[in-house]
Amino acid sequence: MKEKFLSITFVGILFIFFALGIIFKDQKISLLERRYLTTKETLNKDPFTNLDAYLSDQFPFRNTFLSLYSFFDRVILGNKENNNIYKKGKVLIEKNYPLQEKNIEKFSQKINTIAEKYLNKDNRVFYALLPDKSYFLEEKEYQKLDFQKLIKKVEKEIVFPYIDLIPLFQLQDYYNTDIHLKQEAYQKVVEVLAKNYNFSLQNIFWEQQKNNNFYGSSYAKGAYFAKPEELNFYTNAWTEQADVWHLEYGKKKVYDQEELASLDAYNVFLSGPSAYVEINSPNALSEKELILFRDSFGSSLAPLLLPYYKKITLIDLRYTSMDKIEQYLDFNHQDVLFLYSTLLVNKSNLLK
Amino acid sequence: MIFSSISFLFFFLPCLLFCYFFVPQKGKNVVLLLFSLFFYYFGEKNTLFLLLTICFVNYFLGRTIEKSQKKIWFISGIVINICLLFYYKYTNFFLETAFSLLHQKAPFLNIVLPLGISFFTFQNISYLCDVYKKEVPSQKNFFTYTLYITLFPQLIAGPIVRYKDINKELENRKENSKTFSEGIARLIIGLGKKVILADGMYYFSTQLLQEDMSFLSYWFVALSFLFQIYYDFSGYSDMAIGLGKMFGFHFKENFDYPLIATSITDFWKRWHISLTSFLKDYVYIPLGGNRTTRAKNIRNLSIVWFLTGFWHGASWNFILWGMYFFCLLIIEKFLLKKYLKKGLFSRIYTLFFICISFVLFHFTDINELAVFLKGMFTITFKNNGMAFYYLKNYGMLFLFAILGCSPYLKNTIKKLQKGKERKWLNILSVGYLLLLFLLAVAKIVSNSFQPFIYFRF
Repeated sequence: MKEKFLSITFVGILFIFFALGIIFKDQKISLLERRYLTTKETLNKDPFTNLDAYLSDQFPFRNTFLSLYSFFDRVILGNKENNNIYKKGKVLIEKNYPLQEKNIEKFSQKINTIAEKYLNKDNRVFYALLPDKSYFLEEKEYQKLDFQKLIKKVEKEIVFPYIDLIPLFQLQDYYNTDIHLKQEAYQKVVEVLAKNYNFSLQNIFWEQQKNNNFYGSSYAKGAYFAKPEELNFYTNAWTEQADVWHLEYGKKKVYDQEELASLDAYNVFLSGPSAYVEINSPNALSEKELILFRDSFGSSLAPLLLPYYKKITLIDLRYTSMDKIEQYLDFNHQDVLFLYSTLLVNKSNLLK
Repeated sequence: MIFSSISFLFFFLPCLLFCYFFVPQKGKNVVLLLFSLFFYYFGEKNTLFLLLTICFVNYFLGRTIEKSQKKIWFISGIVINICLLFYYKYTNFFLETAFSLLHQKAPFLNIVLPLGISFFTFQNISYLCDVYKKEVPSQKNFFTYTLYITLFPQLIAGPIVRYKDINKELENRKENSKTFSEGIARLIIGLGKKVILADGMYYFSTQLLQEDMSFLSYWFVALSFLFQIYYDFSGYSDMAIGLGKMFGFHFKENFDYPLIATSITDFWKRWHISLTSFLKDYVYIPLGGNRTTRAKNIRNLSIVWFLTGFWHGASWNFILWGMYFFCLLIIEKFLLKKYLKKGLFSRIYTLFFICISFVLFHFTDINELAVFLKGMFTITFKNNGMAFYYLKNYGMLFLFAILGCSPYLKNTIKKLQKGKERKWLNILSVGYLLLLFLLAVAKIVSNSFQPFIYFRF
């Protein structure tokens, strides 16, 4: 009886999944994994090489199996991390470890070099760091880098003033399944920037735009069971009227809502990764301009500054070097902010 | 195609099961042969014709040896097989060694290594030897002989199945629900060993090796190499034996809990049994074995252990690995034998030396090997925190690995099966196997490709 039951169930599983594999239509992309899946077309090129990739990618209930193993690995085997992702309650946290001292030096040197070469006395210049989520981990239980050491090292090496934003944040300010801060959390940053850059805050109305189906990049890497969460963005007349120009894509909007259905919904903020973006805000309350050297965290801060700056220029040195974009920039009297997450500081080898 | 892949489990296997069990008895070998050839072709397109040619040559030689009983045919057969193995597997190694002696850069010949050549060469040799010694009649049907060599469960990573062990089953075998379900159980256990334990150990060592290594890290990594290689290879053997059973073949066991061995001699009676018994029967005993002078006995052992190491790969570390065991076995044979009896000390002694041996086995780069060995024997307390962090993360995996390498669990279950709890135990064991299968599939789906270690050989 036992033998028959095992045989029938096992063979049944093989045949059911075989049949489902044929019946189910090919999925072209995996929104959860943020990548294009292998489809039947690849089998035409080289069936033997691509068959396994195809069957694995199109395996029925693939996402459930991915999460099942992550669950087993974490709960039964007690492995705290999966693909460098920790799960603490509902929050997925990217491991940022160990401290890469050479990268931190490189980061500081990069910023100092730009300041020395391009900036002048009329520029009001600051730099600030945004803590990544691993900042909120307990040191005893997880591999957590020495953030104090990182900050001290950066402070020691960078030659212009530092704005301390780190105490502003809590873990709840971040998306559960993504590395980034929610846009609402940047309101606190705007307040701090107002003090340092000397502009007066206004009581500005922001309309919340909701999107309830967001899975972030950490979900894709960790493959833990997780519910979709809200990704909200904030609009008003300033964001609607702003002109956005990308070096790579040309004219775009502040919030690119088509990206909500793309592989990475976070790209709704300024259309995602871009080397050089100019945003003109015709109805800004001042004539001030801001140059923001940033990583992807900066994409959701910039829209909140549109009421206060006539022009905001965003530069992402992961995708371009200064030599290539200096023709577009004329440094004179702008406010300049170097704003980077501690994730990037520790991996600044990504900077060009 | 590897057993722990979606293409094998959910494409190849259902198609084969459907065809195999729906054709009449006469057609079963044809189905198995065609699927086995497809299995091989899937893994290595360019060498299928070579494999078939080798099968034909050995089939022809077997028939001729039986008919003529002339030594020349037998010797020719052995020489042809060994030459092929040497050409495909060792040419570049010899060129590199020869040129390095002349302080010159060796040319690299683009020779495609046929999958499983080390295994099917030994199978062909054992067949020719057994036919020559009249221990088994030669196979009259070329297709049946080709099926013996290409039978997919054992084709590319063993175990080394001897013709005389399955010749009757090749001609006439009966599948039944009991052996079929036993085969499934064995396949699932092997799958679990490979994808959960062996691959888990691989991730452990890979992650820890990227950190600043400490004294403890080196030892934890060495232990993980041991478990990884054991579960990888014994998992593959389990799957091969299980798949064989599903189709009515009974392959001999290849592992017998080697990590509980009480001496190195005992270890080699339990580890890769099909290889050690092959070398014993076809090399050691024909050379005179131990029924000769002490000097000749030592010579015979050195040849066997050199071959054991060299068979595993065309690299100096494998030769070193083989000779390391040769030295240990000589010391045991002539000095330690009487002291090594069942007991904790004997087991710790054995594990200690086996653990070091798999460090030799792991590193093909001699410089990396030297650094690692130095780290293992340089006692320092710096950076040990990192080792403990990873051990904590993988602690359960190590616990399962330790439990799995002793027969304690298996024996306990057997005892319980004789008692009143039998019914519940049966339900639990089926549930456990199915859950293990689903977990293994989940791991395979989530895994980046991780080939079996023994495919190198």
